[in-house]
Amino acid sequence: MIADDQIERADAAALAEVGVFVEGGERSGTYILRDFQPVCALTETEGLELLPIAVALEKYEWLKEKYYWKLVPTDLDEVTAQVASQPEPQGVFIRVRKGCQVTLPCQAALYMASAGIAQAVHNVIILEEDAELGLITGCVTGHGVSRGTHWAVTESYIGQNATLTNTMVHSWGPEVEVRPRAATMVEEGGTFVSNYVSLRPAGDIQSNPRTWLNGRGASAKYLTIILASKGSVIDIGGEVYMNADDTSAELVQRGVSTGGRITQRGLMVGNARCRAHVDCAGMLLDPGGDGLIQSIPGLKALHPEAQLSHEASIGKIAPEQVEYLQARGMEEREAISLIIRGFLEADIEGLGPELDARIAEIAELAGHGEEK
Amino acid sequence: MANLLEVRDLCVEVEGQEILHNVNLTIPEGEVHALLGPNGSGKTSLMMTIMGYPAYKVCRGQILFDGEDITDLDITERARLGIGIAEQRPPTIAGVKLRQILDYAIGGDPQRADELEALVQGSHVESFLDRDVNAGLSGGEIKRSELLQLLATRPRFAMMDEPDSGVDLESLELVGEMVNWLFSKDPARPAKRRAGLIITHTGHILNYVHADKAHIMLDGRIGCSGNPRIIFDRIRESGYEECVRCILEEGEGE
Repeated sequence: MIADDQIERADAAALAEVGVFVEGGERSGTYILRDFQPVCALTETEGLELLPIAVALEKYEWLKEKYYWKLVPTDLDEVTAQVASQPEPQGVFIRVRKGCQVTLPCQAALYMASAGIAQAVHNVIILEEDAELGLITGCVTGHGVSRGTHWAVTESYIGQNATLTNTMVHSWGPEVEVRPRAATMVEEGGTFVSNYVSLRPAGDIQSNPRTWLNGRGASAKYLTIILASKGSVIDIGGEVYMNADDTSAELVQRGVSTGGRITQRGLMVGNARCRAHVDCAGMLLDPGGDGLIQSIPGLKALHPEAQLSHEASIGKIAPEQVEYLQARGMEEREAISLIIRGFLEADIEGLGPELDARIAEIAELAGHGEEK
Repeated sequence: MANLLEVRDLCVEVEGQEILHNVNLTIPEGEVHALLGPNGSGKTSLMMTIMGYPAYKVCRGQILFDGEDITDLDITERARLGIGIAEQRPPTIAGVKLRQILDYAIGGDPQRADELEALVQGSHVESFLDRDVNAGLSGGEIKRSELLQLLATRPRFAMMDEPDSGVDLESLELVGEMVNWLFSKDPARPAKRRAGLIITHTGHILNYVHADKAHIMLDGRIGCSGNPRIIFDRIRESGYEECVRCILEEGEGE
């Protein structure tokens, strides 16, 4: 339970929108950062440790020596420099002990309740050998908060045969600038699954997470689903470096623009015997407006046994599809929402009910043309 | 019986070209009519116009449904009044499953869900129920999918475009059975049979379902109407050319 005086009803509603539940909800652990204040960091699950990063740094000397700022350099860009300059670091430290499989998802929320603030957080996630964790990260602005900046560094370490599934749901106000800097290292036989869903039309998101598959048989899978409405500028990529034999990676991007600008990137770098595929698809629903979608899938092979491929397409909704569904009694908007939902989910299996619900919401929003 | 559908002096254009000319067609409640005619004569266009597809522009005339002028209503409004269609070449929609469309049609009614389940099993669509609608289906599968959707929406007036073409004999049996379910008595109004319009150019489907009347369409016009058996036998014997001749003669005699 989380103390009532710290999380108000309106906050709880905002958090629920990104899949973070203040009460109820089957969760193995919860971390909530409200503006600059961690209001909750708790877990009762054995083998799962969850602490504010500042506390963890004091508790564990090895954290700084081996993990903190080791995947992302402090001088990468102005975002990392800003995060590194915080007098007291904000963010969460999550560790799953060797062999522990946390079956219920763990949730972390970075919540911007006040307008105009600049959040700068640093998260470190460590999965030891054979560990497993499903993480739901919700980043959200409170009701009526339209401006602010959210800068975040996340370093994830996935040990041998460990599996991390991170489902990140963003729901930002229209003038929020979002700059995640994520880096993940995967050891032998480890698996990293990253699902990213941007629900509301954030003003400006730029993200290019990097993953290094350093152990034999390691794999990474990125799935990115975004809605960009008028005024949004969203540039999302993903780079995977396959440095060991039998590694594999898949990057899937789905974007719908109802007037915003979307750039889909993806870069697969094969340094060993590996396989990788990039699949970008966009749908532009913006007659005569400023909407734009560009897809830039990239492949780089430095090893003769690297098998890399990509596909990209940008299309529209065919009127005969809408009319066909209308003939079954659907309103035009309902038909468009269903088609968008189909487009976002096409060829993607096993999203799970929570992600499925988010996608339905995006489709609903996109089908109505304008954001709420 | 009162007229359910009345098409009055209808002219229709597609991309600026008139393709239906002065079409008149009346279908009373409880009657099923067959629409015959060679390829390209305008049968599908008439059906799509009745459904309200915007590519088919009514340039003159009226369509009345249950006494109400529906000429200016959109597809959704017509569907909700009870007009339904099983298309011959329906579009595929990536990511949209047949099951989703069926679920929409029954609107979460648990009683109807049981009924739908029985229909799903009876129409042998399980193998593609959770696949993208119409994607990679055989001719017979498309017919079954379309007829099942039509059954699920429970229209007052059901139209189907060539339910018997491109279907092997075995599948035709099942298609015929489904058409019969559709035109058996309407459970919501047990006193009445559902009304409808069936486009066929092979006529096979008429071995499975009773049609009250047949109309021949030639060159965007309804040339003649009458007893389906007699008309169909004539066509089988002498082809549509004979119809053309007969209609022309009739025209000269007037």
